[in-house]
Amino acid sequence: MLIELKNIFKWVNSGGNRFFLLKDINLKIEQGAFISVMGPSGSGKSTLLNILGMLDTFDEGDYYFNGQPVHQLKEKYRSRLYKEHIGFVFQAYHLIDELTVYENIETPLLYKKVSSPERKALVSDMLDRFNIVGKKDLFPAQLSGGQQQLVGVARALISKPKLLLADEPTGNLNSKQGAEIMELFKRLNQEDGVTVVQVTHSEKNAAYGSQILELLDGRIISK
Amino acid sequence: MIKNYLKIAWRNLWKNKSVSAIHIIGLVAGMTCCLLMLLYIQHELSYDKFQEKGDRIVRVIMEYGNGDTTNKGNFTGTKVLSTFKNNFPEVANGVRMYKNKNIVKIEDHVYKEDRFLYADAAFFDIFSFPLLKGAANDVLNAPHKVVLSAATAQRYFGDKNPVGRTIQVGANQTNYTVTGVAADCPPNSQIRFDMLASFSSLPAAKVEETYWSANYTTYLLLKNQNSIASLQPKIAPFMKRELASEDDGNGSYITYELEPYTRVHLYSPYDGFEPNSTVQYLYISGCVALLILTIACFTYINLSTARSLERAKEVGIRKVAGAQRRQLFWQFISESTLVSAISLFLSVLLLLILLPAFNDLTGKTLLFSEMFQPEILAAMLGILLSISFLAGSYPAFVLSGFKSIKVLKGAFHRSSSGNWVKGSLIVFQFGISVFLMIATLIMQNQLHYIRNKELGYDREHVLTFPLDNRTMAKIALIKKEFKQNPNILAVSRSAELPTRIKGGYTMWTNRMTPEQYIMTAGNVVDDEFVAACGLQLIAGSGLSKQDIRDVSHADYDKNYFHFIINQSAATALGWSPEEAIGKKMTFSYRNGEVKGVIKDFHFASMHTPIKPLVLFPDTWSRHLIVKTSGNDLAETIAFLEDKWHNIIPYRPFEYQFMDESFAKLYASEMRMGKTLGIFSAMTILLACLGLFGLSAYTIKQRSREIGIRRVLGASATGITRLCSIQFVKLVFLSFLIASPLAWWIMNVWLRGFVYHINIQWWPIVATGVAAVAITVITVSFQSVKAALANPVKSLRTE
Repeated sequence: MLIELKNIFKWVNSGGNRFFLLKDINLKIEQGAFISVMGPSGSGKSTLLNILGMLDTFDEGDYYFNGQPVHQLKEKYRSRLYKEHIGFVFQAYHLIDELTVYENIETPLLYKKVSSPERKALVSDMLDRFNIVGKKDLFPAQLSGGQQQLVGVARALISKPKLLLADEPTGNLNSKQGAEIMELFKRLNQEDGVTVVQVTHSEKNAAYGSQILELLDGRIISK
Repeated sequence: MIKNYLKIAWRNLWKNKSVSAIHIIGLVAGMTCCLLMLLYIQHELSYDKFQEKGDRIVRVIMEYGNGDTTNKGNFTGTKVLSTFKNNFPEVANGVRMYKNKNIVKIEDHVYKEDRFLYADAAFFDIFSFPLLKGAANDVLNAPHKVVLSAATAQRYFGDKNPVGRTIQVGANQTNYTVTGVAADCPPNSQIRFDMLASFSSLPAAKVEETYWSANYTTYLLLKNQNSIASLQPKIAPFMKRELASEDDGNGSYITYELEPYTRVHLYSPYDGFEPNSTVQYLYISGCVALLILTIACFTYINLSTARSLERAKEVGIRKVAGAQRRQLFWQFISESTLVSAISLFLSVLLLLILLPAFNDLTGKTLLFSEMFQPEILAAMLGILLSISFLAGSYPAFVLSGFKSIKVLKGAFHRSSSGNWVKGSLIVFQFGISVFLMIATLIMQNQLHYIRNKELGYDREHVLTFPLDNRTMAKIALIKKEFKQNPNILAVSRSAELPTRIKGGYTMWTNRMTPEQYIMTAGNVVDDEFVAACGLQLIAGSGLSKQDIRDVSHADYDKNYFHFIINQSAATALGWSPEEAIGKKMTFSYRNGEVKGVIKDFHFASMHTPIKPLVLFPDTWSRHLIVKTSGNDLAETIAFLEDKWHNIIPYRPFEYQFMDESFAKLYASEMRMGKTLGIFSAMTILLACLGLFGLSAYTIKQRSREIGIRRVLGASATGITRLCSIQFVKLVFLSFLIASPLAWWIMNVWLRGFVYHINIQWWPIVATGVAAVAITVITVSFQSVKAALANPVKSLRTE
């Protein structure tokens, strides 16, 4: 079991009222799963994804990642766990504008203190695999949206994560570019065994996954 | 990792060129000021340090007086050296010195030498001035020998060997033989000479040595540096025994004080052969340097937090990519280090360009090569690190604290916590600016007041020339020839110029005993002095030619003096101006009577009140005063030059306007005024840069609010006002804090002048208005942009 969420609650207090973002979430994710999270705006999809990715905290409940109790871990261990095992892909790509393609992909390795020759080898592999060797010295502004998202995925995968989290990865792309990214996710899931959790609005994209999770008003309404 | 940090820092700098330029300009301005101050301080501290025996050399200060008054200064009689050497075992050696402006004639050229010094033969043993030609022990061991500095030798003789050549010194054209060439004196020395002649050449060295006629400076070389403590207490009793035979019963005494040579420049109230500085100036300079550096840091902080919004996304991504806060913190520190390093490099270049102007302003000779002393290099490293850390850490702290999901969602850190920090930085910076602006204005006012105050004498279109004994003998001819030109109204001579007449005389009336004397200033004048200087007689009449003949007897006792006294002198002697006329009085043992009373005029700086003054006739003088009408001045000067070459061919035609001598009295105030002006401009620039940054930041933070207000129908002016008002409030607050402080401190400064302005309301109000205007203009760069921007855009960014 890669992930286990038990009775997760998250809320905000506003004017004396408690407003729930997530209510009593129970969820198990196996190693190698490909889950699509769906639901209307404000249903808590992104919040759930951020909690899974340890970017956000929750107010109640237990979270086990790879058997470790995330809710009890100190920041330092959580950060290490996160750096080792999780990669993030965003709707808006979020590349660093001042860095080249090569340097963007390299960034997570710098924070993992990987040695320079090893970084070089890993980044070259990744460039090869994504067929973007020719673009390695370009800056994000010089790329199309699809290419930028490709770099975003490459960056997320560079540290060989067990879990890839994607928040509407195709939201800013046209349908052809979107389909390419989805094919890539599927291949990663099936060939490399990367667990994928994606948030999406599109039924079509959701269908790439092996399981669909539907949220409404902070509750899981179907698995 | 560090490479990556620097890379992104560099690309960020390059991408936002205008913002980076503002950043760097701010730091360069601050650093350059700071470096200049450091260089200046280092230069002042290095004075005389090159003297190898410096810790054993002392300067002798003479103190003399009677029961009532004492006088103290850097002068001694000729006898001090020999007596001290013979009577005190602590004294190893010594040298007497004398500085004189002189004219030097070589073949047909006449040069004016301001740094013409005389010294005993031991000079080169005691001081570390290397001799390039000649042997230390015989270059000055006989009368009429002279050592030239390398630059002077070059100027006189080119590349030819000067040793053995003869030069003619003074109006009497005495022959001196060049015996050696010394390396040029370093600028950081209290003794600097272009020519150094043997002390035995002086007339005073040819007569019997005396403690009196104290016109010379004596330096002693002690056996070891601790001897000063054992020697000092022996001097007073020794001198009492020495002078026992001369005791006149009215308590006259002489004693001497020893001053360590290396403390003269910064700690002594008495100048060396070059003007002293005081250690207080160094403290002030140090404070100014620190202040400017602080302000530069604040500007940097305000500018970089302003840019933090642009960096927020990057911070978010880096955090998602696994960066810890510490790592981000160091990234931003390395960025500020890069910016500081670039700025430091540029400010060193700027310093190279500005140094001549700075030297001009301070009257110093700082060399660019002094930059590379270890102390300065260490200080530069210190500046670099302090700016990198002090200025870099606050933005680094703020930036690294951004929450990744929030900034990636586009919702920026909108808390107003931190804002008071930035606000108080602005208050501090503008407080300093307001303070300096008010101080500058008041100082300019006072200087303007001094320059235009009715001084009681006429200093416009008055030319002055130095007058020596040889020229003095031709005074009648000079007067006659000069006055042929109708534009020359009067030609006079005097011992001192009316700009600055010193004290040192005594006077008493026949109702008083000589012991009841009153101290007074005095000046030797002739019959035309009152006319040439435009002095106003209020009673009696001026001197006549006969009055001068009355004091020209070879037997001095036969002389009978007619005095012109000022109103203060009349009052001090108990007379009204009218009563004074014809009254008998004695002026430093010269008997005579009062012939005229003049209105008080400012014959000293305005720091001191007008004191009693006696103008008396005598046969010697040091200055020639030529009053012109001011019409066709160029032609008049050409006329004078022509006559001068005919009558006085042995002296160069060098004149000075009396205005210039007057300006010299206030040179230090003028310098301070200029320096303050520059610093206040600098702080205003820096404060504006900081304000510019902060306004950009807050307005960007409020872009959504502004968008909504626009959509709801707010006008562009309304928005601009909304954005500006908070900064105007901050600046007004700084004005409220700084202006009373400035008022108080400037009042203290003004009290140093006996004649001063009263601080008026307008410089303070003007400063306040200017500060607010500057604020509005600076902020408007941002606020107008925000007000005119399409509100749809700013709302869409949510």
